[in-house]
Amino acid sequence: MLELAIGIILGACALGAGMAMIAGIGPGIGEGNAVARACEAIGRQPEAKGSITSTLFVGCAIAETTGLYALVIAILLIFVAPNMLVEILTSTIA
Amino acid sequence: MKKVHETVLKETKFVGAWVLIFSALMQAVFLIIGKWDYTVLLGNILSAAAGIVSFFFLGMTIIKAVSSGDPAYAKKLMKASQAIRMLFMFGIALLGALLPCFSIWATVVPILFPRLALLIRSFMVKRMGPYDSPVIEGDSGDAAEDEDGEVEDVE
Repeated sequence: MLELAIGIILGACALGAGMAMIAGIGPGIGEGNAVARACEAIGRQPEAKGSITSTLFVGCAIAETTGLYALVIAILLIFVAPNMLVEILTSTIA
Repeated sequence: MKKVHETVLKETKFVGAWVLIFSALMQAVFLIIGKWDYTVLLGNILSAAAGIVSFFFLGMTIIKAVSSGDPAYAKKLMKASQAIRMLFMFGIALLGALLPCFSIWATVVPILFPRLALLIRSFMVKRMGPYDSPVIEGDSGDAAEDEDGEVEDVE
């Protein structure tokens, strides 16, 4: 029974990590769209290149934050959560 | 050797300075809660450096994509760059988790520091207004790369 519970914990942590990484898809698409629109904007208004590039920098980096949150959560779910949950389980049973 | 754009350097210096400040704060927190050891310091150095490098490459990619002038190419370039940088950060976090000389918490948390620095930057932009890069201000927008890869204006 204990093995089954540990197996469920490990499986749920792995599934959670995989599902968290779905959030890593969005920033790539978003950054791509933002830079494509910036290229078009610079084509229309070349004199605004400086301010467009600076704004793009901050925008892209902030858009990437979502992916990094997902990465951090996935890493914690893979490496930290299983040990903690198994310890809680075994101490509760003991 | 490819010349680094001044906007990239400026932003990277800003982010680097704030990452140092946040890292010092994190070390202080670990000291206060009594969990500080050399693994915390090593983990912090590893992931703070990786975060700054990742941000630097983001900047280089943006400059390259914007200079290309082709939206479709820029889109593909940014997607590829984001995937590679995410893998790089995953590799760093994996190192921090698997090697005993790195504390996992001290490796994972500083990954978010460059983004915190950029949130501060965006607040600064909101309060002081947007700034223009000294190099590309008034640029004609017809930037092209010469054979050394240096960005130059085409009149």
